[in-house]
Amino acid sequence: MRDEIEVLSDYVRSESGYKGNLNPEADLLEAKILDSFSVVQLVMFIQERFKVEFEAEDLTRANLATLSNIVALIDKRKATAGK
Amino acid sequence: MLRSIPRFLLETVQRLPDKTAIVSRERSVTFSQLHGEALATAECLREMGVQSGDRVGICMEKTVDQASVILGVMFANAVLVPILPRLKGPNIRHIIDNSGMVAMITDSERLNEVSEFAEITKLFIGHGEVEKNWPNIPYMRRFLEPRMFLDRIGADNAAIIYSSGSTGRPKGILISHRNLADGTDIVAEYLGTTQEERIGCVLSFNFDYGLNQIWQTIRKGATLYLHDLALPNDLFALLAKESITALPVMPVIITKMFDRRLKLATGAHDFSALRYVCSTGGRLSEDMIRDLKTTFTRAKIFSMFGLTEAFRSTYLDPDKLDVHPTSIGKAIPDCQVMVLDEHGEECAPNAVGELVHRGATVTKGYWRDPENTAKVFRAHPRFPGEILVFSGDRAYRDEEGYLYFVARADEMIKTKGFRVSPTEVETEVVRHPDVVDAVAFAVPNIAVGEDIACAYTTGSGKALPDHSLTQYLKTQLPTHMVPAYLVHFDSFPITGNAGKLDRKTIKQAAFERLGIAPDVKDARAGRG
Repeated sequence: MRDEIEVLSDYVRSESGYKGNLNPEADLLEAKILDSFSVVQLVMFIQERFKVEFEAEDLTRANLATLSNIVALIDKRKATAGK
Repeated sequence: MLRSIPRFLLETVQRLPDKTAIVSRERSVTFSQLHGEALATAECLREMGVQSGDRVGICMEKTVDQASVILGVMFANAVLVPILPRLKGPNIRHIIDNSGMVAMITDSERLNEVSEFAEITKLFIGHGEVEKNWPNIPYMRRFLEPRMFLDRIGADNAAIIYSSGSTGRPKGILISHRNLADGTDIVAEYLGTTQEERIGCVLSFNFDYGLNQIWQTIRKGATLYLHDLALPNDLFALLAKESITALPVMPVIITKMFDRRLKLATGAHDFSALRYVCSTGGRLSEDMIRDLKTTFTRAKIFSMFGLTEAFRSTYLDPDKLDVHPTSIGKAIPDCQVMVLDEHGEECAPNAVGELVHRGATVTKGYWRDPENTAKVFRAHPRFPGEILVFSGDRAYRDEEGYLYFVARADEMIKTKGFRVSPTEVETEVVRHPDVVDAVAFAVPNIAVGEDIACAYTTGSGKALPDHSLTQYLKTQLPTHMVPAYLVHFDSFPITGNAGKLDRKTIKQAAFERLGIAPDVKDARAGRG
């Protein structure tokens, strides 16, 4: 969990140029750290980096706006993978 | 009878006070509440010294509050000046200075960024937290006893819209109350807007197309659903859940909606309520049309064209989209669109000339810029006493009268003795099964005049081997039209209004990647 947050924070910071600390509960779209283009790039990055595949139902604002929700989603897809 | 945006709202409030007007994630308002908020906003502005005819800027994210203050500025008899929230300091300063803005309304989150302007204009908070140094309009509204006081006539200034997408400073396009009222009724006529309309609004309120969604709503008593498009599945869910009937978009929004890299939930929803999708701001590719038609099986697709100087010029009858998919259609009601040669004579069918617009939506010109106004807003001997918009766009008309956009005059590529339209090259490049979007432009080459370069994006996000795309294009295009350079982009930047490809930035980035000194000549304001 920690590692995933770390990896995601690093990625978001390097892509957005945002310098501060990222609160895992913060809504990154609301805070304008992510926009409609970068959130899709983030999805691509996660699928490749964590070897998961998101389903249509996963790809919603609610699931992807905060780092902690993203981690929950990654864990869910890791658990269902191969079933 | 005076027709104006405030009058339209007053009429609808009489008729449908308790009907829902605008809905967002945060809150919704009825027409009566919206009217109350607009009146109280006007009172706030007057209290703080705003007078009739003063310019008031609005630099906010899209919220119900933004719609309230937009209408509030109009009820204060002031002139609305939308400012893109994403603009940088120097550009905002230019708009404040150039418009002579007396006040600017922003949100509390943006206050830090814009507080430097407090020395040159009054700052108000139109949405968000109450901060002690700044008047907060939503807070103040609760304590005000609004008075109704409208003193504007149709010829008065209603808005100045600054147009991006050009080198040099953005130009302010001056729009009268009559322009807005006429534009509203013209669009309502050809789209058939009614009280039953449920409009999905993914557009921003910083330009004419987005603002027109508010005008349609209050004119007809429709309901507007605000949505910020980030992930397409959320939009699909909204369309189905709220039985959205009308969806105004732009080509870039369609590309985002049907992003090939994402699994889309289009099959999980019922979109049978959707009556139409309309689009302006660039041509619709065959892929876009197919995606829209297969997803929204009952929706008519309106392809439209316009320039901010005249709001809207043409639309294509949805029933003709299959027959003339690349046409921009015919003139909107109460306007005439002509193709004129260099002598001002109407061109023969299929001959390329300048697109010239006359009629109700011709705006008042560029704010405080008589020189540029005189170039674009001109008389024509056939129409004494009238001012027409000479767009500078190259276009032609076929035998049946359907219009086709060729290029902006300054975008034509002169290569090997040919004049090539970037649009024609782009149309062919996006026909390649892996290409999503393309932007073609000229690269200087003394030997042949100019070479053609084309930037493109793909569905997979990966570059295509140059030779395979070139081979493909050689089978589709005459040799002189095959680009000498192909530049892959992960994605294309868009202009501030979240709708149009930012051709200037794409071109500059491509020039850098090709190691060519930038030479961007592009002086005209934006096309819708």
